[in-house]
Amino acid sequence: MEERIGRFIAALRASGVRVSVAESQDAWRAVEDLGARQREAFRLALRTTLIKDEPNIERFEELFPMYFGTGAPPLMDPQAELSPDEQQMLQQAMQSLAEQLQQLMEWLLSGQGPSQDELEELADQAGMNRARRPSPLQQAWYERRMQRLLGWQQLQELLEMLWEMLAQMGMDPQTIEQLQARVAENQAALEQQLSEFAGQKLVDNMIDDYQQRPPIDELMERPFGSLTQAEMDQLRDQVRRLAARLRSRAALRQKRGKRGKLDSKTTIRANLRHSGVPFEMHFKQKRLKPKVVAILDVSTSMRPLAEFFVRLLYELQDQIQKTRSFAFIDHLEDVTDDLLARHIDDAVHIILHKLPPGHYNTDLGHSLRQFEAAHLDAVDRRTTVIVVGDGRNNYNDPAIPIFSKICRRARRAIWLNPEYPAQWGSGDSDMLQYAPLCTEIYQVRNLAQLADAIDRMLAG
Amino acid sequence: MAEQIFDTVDAVKRALEGCLYIASDEIATVVYLAEKLGKPVLAEGPAGVGKTELSKAWAAATNRPLVRMQCYEGLDESKALYEWEYAKQMLYTQLLRDKLADLLAGASSLSDAADRLANEEDVFFSERFLLQRPLLRAINSDTPTVLLVDEIDRADAEFEAFLLEVLSDFQVTVPELGTIVARHHPTVFLTSNNTRELSEALKRRCLYIYIDYPSTEEELQIVRLKVPDLQPKLARQAVEAVQALRNIDLRKNPSVSETLDWARALVTLNAQALDKATMENTLTVLLKYEADVARARRALRLEEEARRGRKDW
Repeated sequence: MEERIGRFIAALRASGVRVSVAESQDAWRAVEDLGARQREAFRLALRTTLIKDEPNIERFEELFPMYFGTGAPPLMDPQAELSPDEQQMLQQAMQSLAEQLQQLMEWLLSGQGPSQDELEELADQAGMNRARRPSPLQQAWYERRMQRLLGWQQLQELLEMLWEMLAQMGMDPQTIEQLQARVAENQAALEQQLSEFAGQKLVDNMIDDYQQRPPIDELMERPFGSLTQAEMDQLRDQVRRLAARLRSRAALRQKRGKRGKLDSKTTIRANLRHSGVPFEMHFKQKRLKPKVVAILDVSTSMRPLAEFFVRLLYELQDQIQKTRSFAFIDHLEDVTDDLLARHIDDAVHIILHKLPPGHYNTDLGHSLRQFEAAHLDAVDRRTTVIVVGDGRNNYNDPAIPIFSKICRRARRAIWLNPEYPAQWGSGDSDMLQYAPLCTEIYQVRNLAQLADAIDRMLAG
Repeated sequence: MAEQIFDTVDAVKRALEGCLYIASDEIATVVYLAEKLGKPVLAEGPAGVGKTELSKAWAAATNRPLVRMQCYEGLDESKALYEWEYAKQMLYTQLLRDKLADLLAGASSLSDAADRLANEEDVFFSERFLLQRPLLRAINSDTPTVLLVDEIDRADAEFEAFLLEVLSDFQVTVPELGTIVARHHPTVFLTSNNTRELSEALKRRCLYIYIDYPSTEEELQIVRLKVPDLQPKLARQAVEAVQALRNIDLRKNPSVSETLDWARALVTLNAQALDKATMENTLTVLLKYEADVARARRALRLEEEARRGRKDW
């Protein structure tokens, strides 16, 4: 049992749920207290101690039956109610039938399911250990494959033959019917067993796969564009964690900056009740209430990175209340509400859906003009303007005067560009024209650079 | 007052039910484990599903006083833990002026006087002048308490970090008095409406439970228990209507507490059936946004038309 729970926790981790050592200890204590006999209580004890985020509950519910069963009944011995004579008949009939399916027939008719070793062997034959990137989605496929290896398709035919043969040998029809019912039950139970085993095996392999993955430091240095799907998921996690860390770091900074100059007016008023003796000091509060306007390029050239930056906007909006977010390709869309109202994944999906990629239709100049016409009031001297894009404008008018106007109104203008500085100004890139207008420019190609840039942005 | 002992999950469930709280198996298990393991419970879920009510019911079931701390932006230690009562200290100093004069009368020098005064310092920095805020009250209590930290997601991240410290050791240091260690570990409930992500450190220390809207049957059970005067048939209709409303895309879904308000309104209005007029008149009890009310009306009308259309057919 202990090993089981350990494996289960490893499986949770492999599928992206963060479980700390302290939490697994809590799970132990909870299970010790409630006992593992009652399935429901056991499940709830594990869930409340291991899962701390609502979206992860689903993963838990998927994995739990793979490790602790669905409560399916074990195979039963259909021969228990047969007389010795009848048993003999059955043996003879079976022997005369197909050799290849002997194993399967034996399991069904003896009520003894496959052993762990036999299952392992079967899974290996089905190629489960060679799967390149195991995922729970493959469960049904491997399950069918294991069934085919056992000869499940021919089974029904064979069973029909068996019943016929037994009838010919003179077995009581009622007994045969009973036997049929039992075998059918066993068949269902065996199917369930195979399915569970396939699922668990996959997850087990997933754990090993997870433990062999490259460490995150290396990922930090790799460009966003060259990542596989699984690495993307991993990075996504990192972005979230990064944002959480930045949030608390920013909060600490806010606290440190709280005490300002003595506020004599409030102090005198507050100390009137102490007959003017200044007991309670009041200080001017230094409020760090930044405003952010973020403009994000989601055009074809930026597409591979767009999702990350949308996520970044989402977290930024979470962090800084007065954030306005815009996305553009050929025109500008205000996406603030999309980011505000929804869950992060939905928000990303909706925004990328709103602005489908086209062919060479990026027009930053036009988008900037639109911004000036409709949203210029969002920029004031407290505002930090963040532009994320490669500055590639398809030889359209870059609208430099307008960008310059926006920059002059804003406190700071920050540009995040994924391209190397050497590429700026080449081809249709107008970056060199925009660059002198910005307060700061960061090249952001990977997570390490992103973390660095955000940190410096929040510091100011 | 004897402490009851809750040995099984079922006992917890029954005790909560005795206090008019219908607990699912999940809730009962978590509360039971919280008592056994001495861990705080973090309850998340939409507003008005009974997260706060749970701690109140548990306090009532265990006969313990409930200490409630409502969180808000800008909540700090002095509001949550303790504060020196300056005004009272001032008043005492004024009133005791003669006594102080006596004390300092024979002082030979200024430093002698200061020493004498310093000896009496303890008088002014004693628990007498300590204004206890909820956290300290829960820790300092002679009897075990139930501590409710409501809507923790509204407090700042720095307060969360501070809370972490208190919740892990259950002790508080007041520089002038020393460390106050809890005589009894309070049972702690934290609630969150998930307006922001809580820190992993806090989550790690808590047992987690997500309380969602109840199913039709569960909600009906709650209505029957809390508003027994409502006719059973009407109660069912009302609950079904609320459940249907939750399926429409509304700005704010009607909560369980609003269902109960509505049920009480129906009793007060002496409604016999849930007809269109009653529904229209009382919809504002359930829905708190003009746009939501309009949307719900439209949905009701569509339903009505569909029904009539079927009849005409």
